[in-house]
Amino acid sequence: MSTEHSTPNASPSTNRFDAIVVGAGPAGSSASFTLARKGFKVLMIDRGRRAGTKNMYGGRVYSEPLEAIFPSLRKDAPVHRWVKAERLSFVSDEGLTSIEYRGGESKSFTTYLPELVNWMRAKAEEAGALVATEVRVDRLVVEKEKVIGVQAGPDTVYADTVIDAEGVNRLLLEGAWQMNVPRQEDLAIGLKETIKLDAERVNQRFGLEDEGMAWILLGSVTRYIPGGAFVYTNRDSVSIGLVLFLSHAVKRTNGHISRLLEDFRLHPKLKHLWRDGELLEYSAKLVPEYWRGFMPRRLSGAGLLVVGDAAGVLLNNGMTIRGVDLAAYSGYLAAETFTKAHAEGDFTSEMLSAYGRRVEESFIGRELRKHNGLEYIRRNPHFFDQYPRLVNSGLGRIFNIGLESPTIWKALRGAQKDVGPDAWTAIKDMYKIGRTL
Amino acid sequence: MQILVGIKWVPNTSNVRFDPKTGALIREGVPSIVNPHDLDAVEFALDLRDRYGGEVNALSMAPPSAIEGLEQVLGMGVDSAILVSDRIYGGADTLATSYVLAHAVKRISNQRGKLDLVIFGQETIDSSTAHIAAQTASWLDLPYLYYVRSVEIKENGFIAVERWLEDEKTIYDLPLPAVLGVAMKSREPRPVRLIYKIRAKAEKPIEIVTNEILKLNPNCVGLKGSPTWVSKIDYTPEVKRKREVFMDPDAGKAAKWLMQKYADEDINLIGGAHR
Amino acid sequence: MTQKDDLTKKPVNVDDILKVDLYDVEETPHISVNFDRCIGCETKPCIDLCPAKCYDLLGGKVLFSYSGCLECGTCRIVCPQNAISWNYPRSGKGIQYRFT
Ligand SMILES: Cc1cc2nc3c(=O)[nH]c(=O)nc-3n(C[C@H](O)[C@H](O)[C@H](O)COP(=O)(O)OP(=O)(O)OC[C@H]3O[C@@H](n4cnc5c(N)ncnc54)[C@H](O)[C@@H]3O)c2cc1C
Ligand code: SF4
Repeated sequence: MSTEHSTPNASPSTNRFDAIVVGAGPAGSSASFTLARKGFKVLMIDRGRRAGTKNMYGGRVYSEPLEAIFPSLRKDAPVHRWVKAERLSFVSDEGLTSIEYRGGESKSFTTYLPELVNWMRAKAEEAGALVATEVRVDRLVVEKEKVIGVQAGPDTVYADTVIDAEGVNRLLLEGAWQMNVPRQEDLAIGLKETIKLDAERVNQRFGLEDEGMAWILLGSVTRYIPGGAFVYTNRDSVSIGLVLFLSHAVKRTNGHISRLLEDFRLHPKLKHLWRDGELLEYSAKLVPEYWRGFMPRRLSGAGLLVVGDAAGVLLNNGMTIRGVDLAAYSGYLAAETFTKAHAEGDFTSEMLSAYGRRVEESFIGRELRKHNGLEYIRRNPHFFDQYPRLVNSGLGRIFNIGLESPTIWKALRGAQKDVGPDAWTAIKDMYKIGRTL
Repeated sequence: MQILVGIKWVPNTSNVRFDPKTGALIREGVPSIVNPHDLDAVEFALDLRDRYGGEVNALSMAPPSAIEGLEQVLGMGVDSAILVSDRIYGGADTLATSYVLAHAVKRISNQRGKLDLVIFGQETIDSSTAHIAAQTASWLDLPYLYYVRSVEIKENGFIAVERWLEDEKTIYDLPLPAVLGVAMKSREPRPVRLIYKIRAKAEKPIEIVTNEILKLNPNCVGLKGSPTWVSKIDYTPEVKRKREVFMDPDAGKAAKWLMQKYADEDINLIGGAHR
Repeated sequence: MTQKDDLTKKPVNVDDILKVDLYDVEETPHISVNFDRCIGCETKPCIDLCPAKCYDLLGGKVLFSYSGCLECGTCRIVCPQNAISWNYPRSGKGIQYRFT
């Protein structure tokens, strides 16, 4: 009787790596790809059956940062539609007002995130990264305040540096750094339905010729809860969903949260857009809402680099969420920092802290700082209730002419009466926000 | 013990869509998985290896995409895998499949000198025929038992096999080598382990066997070797759940209530297929 | 949810919506709830906020079923009683996203 198999012989070639990346999402795959291309021995671990099966988002990816990492993106990435139509709508019980922009060259595309992530994983694997899926990492192994590897079930595997790309539910980081569970105030919850619709119908109903539309809606679509609704056109489906600030949603859903999405789908002014569609998938995920609150105090420690959503590098200005490209780019910057550290043979927290500075100095840091101005929107509840109502009520008065058309002034005065005493502040605010944007 | 486990790479039919016009199954967005009942068989085999030592190898006839599934069972601790893969094996029914598998088993046992057990899952989720194990055993002329719950090795080159049917539990003494069908849901498959998954990826212990190697008569394999054809697929209408809940701390009352519900719905609890 | 249901006509219950999702349910629950702590909880935000309706109220008591879980982490954040011990499923189990 032999039990030689109960513990595998972890040979040095299989239990020691230059770098271990936890999570094969946009951040982790980008880091792994970049490292593998440079010839490092990289292990990327994901808990999904295959890469992509656990990844969810709204629907649009900004391509430029990704192209800097994956040069072949425009050639072989699973792009559904290049976005050439942007629409912003204010929805209230009074009506619906939209602003639409159609440009020429497109710098963003729609796709399913599972497809994109699996493509990124394939690139990393082709470049030489070892990808272990179906494995949940249970713990970052810390020794004398340095992260020296990861533990999954009974197995421990070691590396000079671990890149934590575990996403918004950063259980591993919380464990290693003894951090608190994130606050509601710093998070939003997103839910979405993907509705199958043949490509022709997508084109017809959204006025497209195989290009994509990104559409944000504010107001009654979230029952005026701070957040927004979105619609993205995919190749032969549309993604419709909501993002709600968690701290507000907790108090104000007034029934089950899925009802809000249901009401959005059944909205009398919108539902014809997905009529006869077939539901393909229902999904939900958290997203950092307020990056300043969510971002850990530092983005690295001895033997550890934190990237993507786990690090809070995500832009969420209440209307647009830019997470995928920022996550990917942070993964890339982490890989660059690792390269430098490896050359020096130094993986101390001092050495790796260069990563945080790189993030700050890159477009990520600049964007985050810039949009901090929009915190103003976040903190201003009018943005999500009074503005949409004001716009619709005002325009309603201008366009719904009886015998005599009102002056703009009169229309606004009327709208103010509809909306309430705060309307003037709201008008002033809107002017300010217009300038910030 | 030298054990071979059969693995089928199947569409995940736990959630399928049908084309409303043609009634055909839509394959888009239906990932393939290892037949879940085969994972019971893998667990069964690994447990035998844990207890008696030896080797567990996986065998599958499938297109190359099945490598992903084989990596999963390697991740559970299977030692190596053999993928029998050739275009001409495509479209096979159970007869043609078991024919190929039997020849692959023969080749493996010749190569490795010894083979004690060939283990299959009870049935597959995409066709539920439960033919393969029996047919493979017939081709190989080996003893075969199904609905197997457990195996003990005996002194004399025999094993004691426990089989459960609806109303009986029997222990058989079987000479080795033998073929077994493991009762579905009789085991909880162990999770994939990091170390094994790394080994599967780094050492790639998957041998790919084509017909150039097996040299089987093309008329006996694939579509040509398959006398079965599917004339029509019907699906059962969806039954809406009633969402009834009975709240009472008294388990006896709850059981009575439940039995009455079954009676009302004309559901016969005795003689159900699986336990 | 059947294909004949028109998404834009009648309300579709979230239980039906979840049927289109693909799962591979782990045998052991990945989330466990300490129901003793739910007794004193006034707001019970899990009930309305879990997008998969894994939490339900029955006779004032919280019921939890993990099989439809979308692994979003919301319940972990909103539970005011710290009653939830939360983790992801193991071994590739749980939700299997394809079109999101
Ligand atoms: C509703 C919503 C809409 C959004 N819309 C957009 C949008 O339109 N455009 C955009 O750019 N961004 C959008 N985002 C943001 C975007 O989804 C994220 O920023 C992005 O996915 C972050 O990538 P990541 O790699 O950091 O994390 P993730 O994509 O979350 O990946 C983390 C990975 O780590 C794995 N993992 C976690 N823990 C473990 C563990 N213990 N062991 C092993 N593996 C583990 C997971 O399986 C997962 O694959 C949206 C987010 C939400 C919620
Ligand atoms: S993780 Fe999300 S889906 Fe799962 S039980 Fe918690 S709230 Fe519900």
